Amino acid sequence: MSIKAFELCLAVERDLLMGDKARINIECIECCGKNLYIGTNDCFIFHFLLEEKSLANGKQTFSVQRQPHKYLGLKKPVNELKAASALNRLIVLCDNTIMLVNMLSLDLIPSGSKIKGVVTFTVNENPVSGDPFCVEICVISIKKRTIQIYMVYEDKVQIVKELSTPEQPSAVSLDGYFLCLAFTTQYIILNYNTGTSQDLFPYDSEEKKPIVKRVGREEFLLAGPGGLGMFATAAGVSQRAPVHWSENVIGAAVCYPYVLALDDGFVTIHSMLDQQLKQTLSFRDGHILQDFEGKVILATTKEVYMLVPLPLERQIQDLLASQRVEEAIVLAEGARRTIPKDKFQVLHRRILQQSGFILFGQLQFLEAKEYFRKGHLDVRELISLYPLLLPSTSTFTRCHPPLHAFADLNHLTQGDHNKIIKCKQFLISYLNEVRTTDVANGCKEDVDTALLKLYAETGHESLLDLVASENSCVLVDCVPWLEKYHKYFALGLLYHYNRQDDTAIQIWIKIVNRDLQDNTRADLFEYIVDFLSFCSNQELVWKYADWVLQQNEKIGVHIFTRRPVNEDKGVKLNPDVVIKYLHKYPQAIVFYLEHLVLDRNIQKEAFHTHLAVLYLERFLDLYSQKKHSSDELSYVRGKLRTFLQQSSLYRVHFILGKIKDTQLDLECAILYGKLEEHDKAMNILVHQLKDFKAAEDYCIWNSKDRDFSYRQKLFHMLLSTYMDPLLTSSELSVAAVDLLNSHAEVFDATWVLRLVPDNWSMQLLCPFLIEAMRKSMHSTRMSQVALALAHSENLIYKHEKLKCQAEKVMLSEKKGCQLCHNTFNNPEFVWYSNGVPVHTHCAMKRNKNLTDMKHLRDASNHT
Amino acid sequence: MKKPDVKLVILGDVNVGKTSLLHRYTERRFKDTVSTVGGAFFLKQWGPYNISIWDTAGREQFHGLGSMYCRGAAAVVLTYDVTNWQSFAELEDRFLALTDTASADCIFAIVGNKADLTDECASVPHPEAERDACPCPSPVSTTKSHKQVVKEDAVALYKRILKYKMLEEKQCQAAEAMCFETSAKSGYNVDLLFETLFDMVVPGILRKRAEGLSQTVDLMECKGTGPKSSCCY
Ligand SMILES: Nc1nc2c(ncn2[C@@H]2O[C@H](COP(=O)(O)OP(=O)(O)OP(=O)(O)O)[C@@H](O)[C@H]2O)c(=O)[nH]1
Ligand SMILES: [Mg+2]
Repeated sequence: MSIKAFELCLAVERDLLMGDKARINIECIECCGKNLYIGTNDCFIFHFLLEEKSLANGKQTFSVQRQPHKYLGLKKPVNELKAASALNRLIVLCDNTIMLVNMLSLDLIPSGSKIKGVVTFTVNENPVSGDPFCVEICVISIKKRTIQIYMVYEDKVQIVKELSTPEQPSAVSLDGYFLCLAFTTQYIILNYNTGTSQDLFPYDSEEKKPIVKRVGREEFLLAGPGGLGMFATAAGVSQRAPVHWSENVIGAAVCYPYVLALDDGFVTIHSMLDQQLKQTLSFRDGHILQDFEGKVILATTKEVYMLVPLPLERQIQDLLASQRVEEAIVLAEGARRTIPKDKFQVLHRRILQQSGFILFGQLQFLEAKEYFRKGHLDVRELISLYPLLLPSTSTFTRCHPPLHAFADLNHLTQGDHNKIIKCKQFLISYLNEVRTTDVANGCKEDVDTALLKLYAETGHESLLDLVASENSCVLVDCVPWLEKYHKYFALGLLYHYNRQDDTAIQIWIKIVNRDLQDNTRADLFEYIVDFLSFCSNQELVWKYADWVLQQNEKIGVHIFTRRPVNEDKGVKLNPDVVIKYLHKYPQAIVFYLEHLVLDRNIQKEAFHTHLAVLYLERFLDLYSQKKHSSDELSYVRGKLRTFLQQSSLYRVHFILGKIKDTQLDLECAILYGKLEEHDKAMNILVHQLKDFKAAEDYCIWNSKDRDFSYRQKLFHMLLSTYMDPLLTSSELSVAAVDLLNSHAEVFDATWVLRLVPDNWSMQLLCPFLIEAMRKSMHSTRMSQVALALAHSENLIYKHEKLKCQAEKVMLSEKKGCQLCHNTFNNPEFVWYSNGVPVHTHCAMKRNKNLTDMKHLRDASNHT
Repeated sequence: MKKPDVKLVILGDVNVGKTSLLHRYTERRFKDTVSTVGGAFFLKQWGPYNISIWDTAGREQFHGLGSMYCRGAAAVVLTYDVTNWQSFAELEDRFLALTDTASADCIFAIVGNKADLTDECASVPHPEAERDACPCPSPVSTTKSHKQVVKEDAVALYKRILKYKMLEEKQCQAAEAMCFETSAKSGYNVDLLFETLFDMVVPGILRKRAEGLSQTVDLMECKGTGPKSSCCY
């Protein structure tokens, strides 16, 4: 594969030089600015002015204008020509002699300006001395193994250095102090300033003509073994891999980033960047190939051609057109130094983007993505390849000139369905990756809308995440698309995201009602309920409450019961309003009241009474039905009973009025209990229901949180009921014995014993008696302990008192009472244990004032 | 063009698999090669460093280029083919002398390639290499080739190299650690080889940088300081 990097243009035709004189040949060429010089083998120097013209088709042509020529009169060939434009001189090598001629008139500069005995010479293009009015040249002398450095001035030459070399040099190039020399058997680098040298590599100059060509600062290109073009630096190392020429290369030139080589049939062009062969031009009878300040000149012995480099962008586009992405990028990046920074950046990015599209076209998505990223691609360029993805509101137009040749995805894939799917998958992952990054800046709508469309179309699971979270999807554009792919649930979410909750709910309701088909969520009804329960817009809640409750009261009521606890005052639903509304929904209202009373623990009589009534009615209703399930009935009754027992806020009389004439004796008893009418309650429990366990429980829960004596009272009442002399029965006696034996600790034993009939055996009451004995023993011992403790405390105080009395007290008229601050006028006084004497009357007054007995005890150990 | 911080050179006789080794490491697969002409060059980013790896040509014709390629090298990989004694002998006879131009603290590795032909363990494709495995697996020859060079030979050579370089064995890497048997075909030990060497050359880079630092005159820094600038009047 090749690329066109150079174009061959004829510059000087045969007719302009020697015409048909067969034996006259071009020997050497020099080009400096517009001046083209040609030296011939018959000692002529021709001078032309070179005019460059661009044709309309972008091609270059050259026209030459012949100037006066010069015959040097030596009958020898002109071997070499070199222009020194700053001096207005042309350095000429002819007949082993270097001479200077005027650049324009070609007149010889007389005396003192000649160097004799020269085989070949080279000009230092990077001299260390910066003198602009002289040129440094290096000469290979005909003297064996000798090299000389000269300074060439306008009208004189001056030798600077002469060096002898270990072998005969045959070619030389110069940069700074560094000479790169071809010897008979090898190439070396020689520093003419220090004399140090460095071997490069062996080369047989006698077998094949060596080439030594400076390519840049301290770097040379050398003909190597096996037709290699070797790169070597002044330090003696290679920084680039060699280029591979043919075995018989006769000349080489450099035109960054290319090296050109001439052999007997071709000009080959390699890139220095990747060492690859880029172009081959067939060229017969090539004789000279040389570069002059960016111009490359190729000549036969009769004609002169220019090798014109194609503009870089054109070369890059050619490479891209043949899909040689990497080479194109290498070429572009190689030009970084030669193009202004901002221009380079534009070019570079564009090439990366184009490369990305080429790889994209080959479905090499990973690589493509990397180039898109490096090239800062406007992601819409990519989206626009996919028909209909960009929103209709998008202002995007593809960049011009286009980055690729694809009309759209169908064109790119030739309609291959599998490929289209792959491309879509790629775009999904790409957009998903970039949507939250800088790449999407300024085109978030386009990116998100495209992504939504792709998700919808491919049934991608992330669709819901996209519409439910922060996004920039364009609603009007997405609606028809989501409808088309039956993504109604997602559509609802998108409406919700766009603050159109009403529309969202309407769509969802249609799905539940099966007017629309979308199975995204099996639990959509629950979802709607949940949605409404979190919906802060009361109007919406009321608007859809009926629909919701008609679907399912139990779940539907969640829209009232599952509202956020810390809802704003303004949006909080008033329970009274809700209760009033829920009258139509017998189940729902119970759930709602339970929520208020049991969950939220609202202490409001109306709610409690209402709930009790509803429980009761529910029970009675069930009970009246012919075919009721006993399970349900007992469940409902259990709820009623528990509530009646636990709540103490409902209106007892009101409920009692409703319950009296029913079968609900137990509940009736509970209500009596609430009214503290325990005898009535116990009567029901013991005599009507004969449910002794219930009676016992009654005593326990009615005395819960009450003091012991209340509990004892209830138990005593129960025992009395059992032992009512008017209603004795063996059953009741057994109940009484059981009660005593199982709750011995609550009873007052003496009271019980008085009640117990004489004919009851000890055996019968044994557990009770044991417990009663134990209890009384326990209390005896406890009081003994208390007594002993009090006694010992008393002894401690006595001890302290004696201690105090043992000390003497001095009392004089001068001493004052600490309480009234008057002096003592009689010997009676009170002495506090802390050593303070006070008047007896003062002490008495104080004691009176101290209401707290404890204080009195602490402070007054009076004598 | 990024400037390499350090150079690594692969030497060895023609056909031992130098190009294949580099190729396996850089492109993670084994593919057909043509005999290298002149030399080839690869730049590897290793952490913050750029390491240039030179693949040289084993052909006699290009032998003369070796010294230049080795000039200043921080590491040299001497490669032979485990099924070919001659390729091993050539290392000492022909290639060792090329390394005279290498950096004084150059690290040497001796690598016996094509181990897949002789050792069962080396012919198992690396997990990573599997995806590149050819669709029609070449029938694994149960009759392995004869191994002409064993690791002990390589270790002995390594010790001779140290002698040749007049280095103390104790101060250098253990011989066993610097002799590898690899297979470019299966990927066996290839990453290990390159990455061991990369890690070993890093200290050298740092040393070079530290020296370089003290030798470079920073023009921005000495602006207007001291009597040095007096010459500009
Ligand atoms: N079985 C096997 N064959 C290998 C291995 N490595 C290389 N080869 C083969 O050996 C031959 C030579 O490989 P190259 O990598 O070109 O050898 P080279 O050392 O670069 O040769 P030159 O460039 O000429 O010096 C090729 O046919 C490879 O397929 C290996 O590990 N195992
Ligand atoms: Mg190779």
